[in-house]
Amino acid sequence: MSQLPINELEEPSPPARGRKKIGIIVTFACILALLGLLAWGLRKVQAGPLSTGMAPDFTITDFDGTTVTLSELRGQVVIINFWASWCPPCREEAAYLEATWRKYEGRGVVFVGVDWVDTEKEALAYIDEFDITYLNGPDIGTRIAQDYNIQGVPETFYVAKNGELRGVHIGPLQSPQLDEKIEELLAEQYP
Amino acid sequence: MLADIGLISLTIAFLFGLYATIASAYGGWRARTDWVESARNAALLVFPLLTIPVIVIVYSLYKFDFSLAYVYDVSSRAMSPFLRVTALWGGQQGSVLFWAWLMAAFVGIVLLRKWERDRELMPWVTFVAMLTTAFFVGVVLFITNPFVRLWHVPGATELTQAFFQPANAMPYLPEDGNGLNPLLRHFGMIGHPPTTYLGFTGFVIPFAFAIAALITGQSRHDEWIITTRRWTLFAWIFLSIGLVLGGRWAYDVLGWGGFWGWDPVENAMLMPWLTGTAFLHSVMMTEKRGMMKRWNMALIILTYSLSLFGTFITRTGVISSVHAFSKTALGPAFFAFIGLTFLGSLTILYLRWDTLKSEHSLESFISREAAFVLQNMLFVAVTFAVFWGTVFPLLSELVTGTKITVGPPYFQRVTGPLFFVLVLLMGVVPLLTWRKHAARSLGKTIWIPFLASLGMTAIWGFAHRMHPGSIFGLWLVTLTLSLILAEFWKGIQARHATRGENFLSALFNLISRNHRRYGGYIIHLGVVLIAMGVIGDAYFKQETQGTVSQGEVLSVGGYQLEFQKLLAYPGSDGREIVEAVLDLSQNGKPIRTLNPRRDYFVVQEQPVTVPGVYSTPGVDVYAMLVGWDSSGSSATFKIYVNSLINWVWIGGFVMILGTLIATWSNPAQREATYVLKREGLTSQA
Repeated sequence: MSQLPINELEEPSPPARGRKKIGIIVTFACILALLGLLAWGLRKVQAGPLSTGMAPDFTITDFDGTTVTLSELRGQVVIINFWASWCPPCREEAAYLEATWRKYEGRGVVFVGVDWVDTEKEALAYIDEFDITYLNGPDIGTRIAQDYNIQGVPETFYVAKNGELRGVHIGPLQSPQLDEKIEELLAEQYP
Repeated sequence: MLADIGLISLTIAFLFGLYATIASAYGGWRARTDWVESARNAALLVFPLLTIPVIVIVYSLYKFDFSLAYVYDVSSRAMSPFLRVTALWGGQQGSVLFWAWLMAAFVGIVLLRKWERDRELMPWVTFVAMLTTAFFVGVVLFITNPFVRLWHVPGATELTQAFFQPANAMPYLPEDGNGLNPLLRHFGMIGHPPTTYLGFTGFVIPFAFAIAALITGQSRHDEWIITTRRWTLFAWIFLSIGLVLGGRWAYDVLGWGGFWGWDPVENAMLMPWLTGTAFLHSVMMTEKRGMMKRWNMALIILTYSLSLFGTFITRTGVISSVHAFSKTALGPAFFAFIGLTFLGSLTILYLRWDTLKSEHSLESFISREAAFVLQNMLFVAVTFAVFWGTVFPLLSELVTGTKITVGPPYFQRVTGPLFFVLVLLMGVVPLLTWRKHAARSLGKTIWIPFLASLGMTAIWGFAHRMHPGSIFGLWLVTLTLSLILAEFWKGIQARHATRGENFLSALFNLISRNHRRYGGYIIHLGVVLIAMGVIGDAYFKQETQGTVSQGEVLSVGGYQLEFQKLLAYPGSDGREIVEAVLDLSQNGKPIRTLNPRRDYFVVQEQPVTVPGVYSTPGVDVYAMLVGWDSSGSSATFKIYVNSLINWVWIGGFVMILGTLIATWSNPAQREATYVLKREGLTSQA
């Protein structure tokens, strides 16, 4: 009995078989977890960003410590812009946003910049770079973003004088999109 | 009428695809040749049947048939015939149809050509390929149908979209269409979708062969690899071209002065490219040494699954992106299909795991084998890092309730060093021999290119003293470049010495005698050039912005731009153009005028920024018109000085050239390799 049958030679040893089993379980568990994650994301995203109805209320504290609550701005047109310092398309619209703000400042329009998943240092550098003068604050815990169900940045929500959402713009704004929307909302009667 | 023909043909194509899937599986399982033949015939008909709806859509686009919702959405009377025809892939419905059509074409080619040689595999190749094709045709038919018409229901404020006339509805024929999204009217975006689709769908073929080899138990022979080698290269190069064109489009149109932003949409395409590149290399290990068989299987499954995953995340918006996503009903269907593909193929791989043993083990850590293993690990590591960064926001939101997005810095820091080693390996690995290599002889080959690269880096470094971090990167690029060029030089010199050929004909003969090897080196050369462009973009970019009045100057990086005036005039394709005139000079010496523009597409109410670019091999001056006051006396500009960026595009061309050379085959040689394999005589070249 010096020779073993060939198939016995090829059988993996018990510890090797155990390792293989664990490997298989881990691999399939990871894939199922990933699929579960995607299914969850898919369900959530199919709801889409808000674009009609009352704008969800929120309170934001800007980088200088000033606090603003959306529901206290009734009677004014509110432009809510979600942005981040790491987002190239946000840079693309930044100069236009600021120029439009300066044009309408004091005419019943409020701009609120919501800084989304960012670090304060970079965000402040960004505000400084584009010389942004309207209110800007961090979205702590991404609560505002979740209420508005944003899909990414930049996204801009238009709030009418009566507090209703009048649409959302996904992606960077370019002249004269924002001017036109503001003129349209300013023309509405309130109350 | 025409649309009805298209729709009927599409429906028949779907039924044939379904039939071919079932019949080939049954025929393969029961070894029934008649079923397999019937499946093949049905599968071959899918391509012509899909060609009819494609022609109908193209014709409707060309002839302005705005009664079709798709034509209404993506074309308009102001668009040129060329643009109208390319609008076939300008929207979702047309894209998916086009995708299914390309896939059917590939499957048709494979079924026509490879039948005799791989008779055992073919039923299952047909099964896998047709399952995928039928899925896509089904998506076109049931979810994103391009033949849906517009109807007007009296009293309704919006138009209804449906195939068949809804109750009380009247057919509606709009006077003009919405027109293709103006951002997509660029050669990059016209070429990007078809090349990307060719890449993605091309990977179906190696995937189908791999799965067929696993199902039949033929996987221990490596014929499927030889059969699909050129398909893999074909798919890979189109994916590469798609990436380069996408980058070029972003650079020209998106107006942030860069070509890569680590956005989920971009990552979605990069991931299958990375695993596909790893696969291209790991199959060489199997071919030459009978190693890495399991790894190959895992890689092709991963590549194919990642290309489906990429389509899924870009088309559903599951992962937040800085790009605006088109949200559609594709999600659930794609989700189910990805799950099925991934779990199904991994299960089959698990069942055949033990048949995929390596024929050799690693003999030395200084050998080509070891370097290939390392290189493959690195590719997979980069893929994993990119994947992790891409899905992380979703994961963090699920676990902590807070969405945490990792920005470009994460990707740059994690993948940068890995790419660094990969570029280095690209230079070194071709010098190593199979099995083992003496460290001393490696040192002998490397020292001249090494010294040359140090010398060149010293010059580079002196010229760019302000960027110490970049010097390292430039050294790496020059080293790899000189190593590759040295390989060519060695070959040329050998031919010159032994055959007395002059240097030019020696180079030509060198390449034509060994397409695969030198084609591969040329591809590597292209990658090095792209790496150079990336380093330039990462370290040498300079930017400024500001509002200037007429006659005022903006300065950046030694360049001065003087604002002259603003012009406004109507342009083609229904746009109003505002153009700035900037005089560009370098250190006071005038160079030329730049004309950055803002095109406003009236119908679509969409503005498009067209940068004014002064382009040289070393540097691009890239000016964008951001805004202006109504009198035109002042305007706001954003200016970038981008160094070496053109090498990214040049590198892309070099890669294409290399791939053409590598795939250029010598039929006699291919047959010989095949026979060797069939007889079990693997060559140990």
